[in-house]
Amino acid sequence: MPKPNNFNGEDRYNFMLALVGFLQNRGPVSVSDAAAHFELDPAYLRKVVTSINEARAEVRGFEQWFFMIDVEELEENGMLSLIDNLVIDDVPKLSNRQASAIAAGLNYLATIPAFKSDPDLIELQNILAANTIRGINPLVELRPGSAEAGAELVRKAILAETQISCEYINQKDERSVRTLEPLRLDPRADGWYLRAYCPIHKEVRNFKLDRMRRIEVLDVQRSNEARSVSEIEDAIYIAAATDTKVTVEVEPEAYRLISEFKTISEPANVENGRIRAEIKVGHLPNIGRLVARYGGAAKVISPEQAKVHVKNYALAALGEPVHSKVENED
Amino acid sequence: MSAKSESAWQPAKTDKSERLLQLTCALLFAERGLTKAELFRSIPAYVEAVNSGTVEESLNRMFERDKTDLRATGIQIYTPNPAAEAEEICYVIADDTFIWPSHIDLSAKQLQLLTLAAQVWSQASLQSDASQALVRLKALGVEQAADDLIGFAPRINTHEPSFLPLTTAIENRTEVTFSYRKANGEVSKRQVQPWSLHNVDGQWLLQCFDVKQKQPRNFVLKRIVSKVQILRDGDLEVNFEAPSNELLETTTKELMDHIKGQVCELKVKRDSGAWFHFHLDDSSNSKDGQISFNFMDLELIAEELRDFGSDVTVIRPKELAEAVKAGFQKVVADHA
Repeated sequence: MPKPNNFNGEDRYNFMLALVGFLQNRGPVSVSDAAAHFELDPAYLRKVVTSINEARAEVRGFEQWFFMIDVEELEENGMLSLIDNLVIDDVPKLSNRQASAIAAGLNYLATIPAFKSDPDLIELQNILAANTIRGINPLVELRPGSAEAGAELVRKAILAETQISCEYINQKDERSVRTLEPLRLDPRADGWYLRAYCPIHKEVRNFKLDRMRRIEVLDVQRSNEARSVSEIEDAIYIAAATDTKVTVEVEPEAYRLISEFKTISEPANVENGRIRAEIKVGHLPNIGRLVARYGGAAKVISPEQAKVHVKNYALAALGEPVHSKVENED
Repeated sequence: MSAKSESAWQPAKTDKSERLLQLTCALLFAERGLTKAELFRSIPAYVEAVNSGTVEESLNRMFERDKTDLRATGIQIYTPNPAAEAEEICYVIADDTFIWPSHIDLSAKQLQLLTLAAQVWSQASLQSDASQALVRLKALGVEQAADDLIGFAPRINTHEPSFLPLTTAIENRTEVTFSYRKANGEVSKRQVQPWSLHNVDGQWLLQCFDVKQKQPRNFVLKRIVSKVQILRDGDLEVNFEAPSNELLETTTKELMDHIKGQVCELKVKRDSGAWFHFHLDDSSNSKDGQISFNFMDLELIAEELRDFGSDVTVIRPKELAEAVKAGFQKVVADHA
């Protein structure tokens, strides 16, 4: 969700209408409760209250002030109390676009085994289906490896706040048996990620679920270190000082490679769909896999080392000898 | 709160939220509606614009944009007398804008699911619509439950810049044109009636009616290689009739049948990353490290298989083995 200070004019307008409807129905409420309810900063709420109180127009010769939220109550007791409201009885219902976005989100949740037959979810899908254009549709999963086998076990561990052990194959194809403290599961289009506290590295790391096997839920409670993790980043890519910057050139078919690093706008036409961008790679040899998958729609421009990795990855996959020596490979 | 973050809560100078609120309230208050001239005299933000020398043309444009913004957020403005003289045309907000369907009575658990559903978009194209929806849903007053949904953060990705313009065209039922590059590299201009967006195995597809081919088609979004242009006839957007549910269902079924007809078989190196990926320890999935499954598009599945390098060998179809190989050869040539 956007942070409140990222709210643009439309978001702020939307919130003002919603807040008036909320106060109208609910009656007086403290600023802090209202802020917590909407997950906004109380200071943001107070400014919005000022804007609402200033809403006026001169309709057919008479000046109308549409709302009054009691300023004294607010200043003295931190209470939001709507004492005058000429126009808005309720929260505006969802627009088509809003309902479609939520409906698509629900449909996506329904593809996750844990939610598939949840009666509340099904009821919500039905409510929204009756009120939306058929814009964005359920996601269909076909391949094995996409609906993740270990997900239920890992989720149990997350809810029970226990540790797990598993065998993990990393991107260097090294296998090891690990103990992890699972914190959150992130189903994404390219697979499921587990955010887990790693006792060896003493930090939260990403693990792809399709690189795990023999998952066991241990009868060991989450450590204090793992408990103290307060917030987990949404982005899968987390910058590190040791990352290598790689300049790549991509066709629209390979925009996915750069989308975490650059905002992409629509190409005007076929000729200028090719974009150059800088991406960051933690373990440089991985660039081989990342680029080669696109079979020509993505290309490394620099550094030389990265080009060699890509070429070698493709040569190895073709079963051809890899000639050039790559230095510093770890 | 530091002084800096305090000032961040101030709406920007260009913030139009207060103007939109004034406009909404004035229209709701004057139940029979107001003409444009009345609005320009009534709304402080418009009056201010006039006083500071804004010419009528710019004022009109501002009003048009404001109407578009209100409609986009679901505030339904209409004119009860569209055939009247221009200066007599009235603007009214539809009665049911603030009336929720009667059966919407959410439980705490349901609000939680809706929150999760909105957050699915938090890094993707519909973020703003989803978060505005969530604000309204929360404003209904339901308290969220202390949750057992923690531990999940599903996210949809939309890497394709055509996603947002296509959702708008779908909603407004406007025909669009774009250049499309087939997997074999052939580029052609398409004119379509966009129906819906689907996601199959992580790939976004546009389901639509291809006007020139005169039949329903599916296009892979990432192969759209130009801007999505709204088709116009003079000043007017070209609209189309919504497809029937039957037609939509038939088209989806045809896609599914197409997928059912395409099978690939792979041989996977034991204990490799691919072996883990395809869960080949679970014997129901494999025999001797072989696995077969359905796929939608040869080039797209080839792309995924290239991720596994030499850990995977394509047994059939031959075309897939060739596509994987041709891609690697192109990569070698590009990085020589």
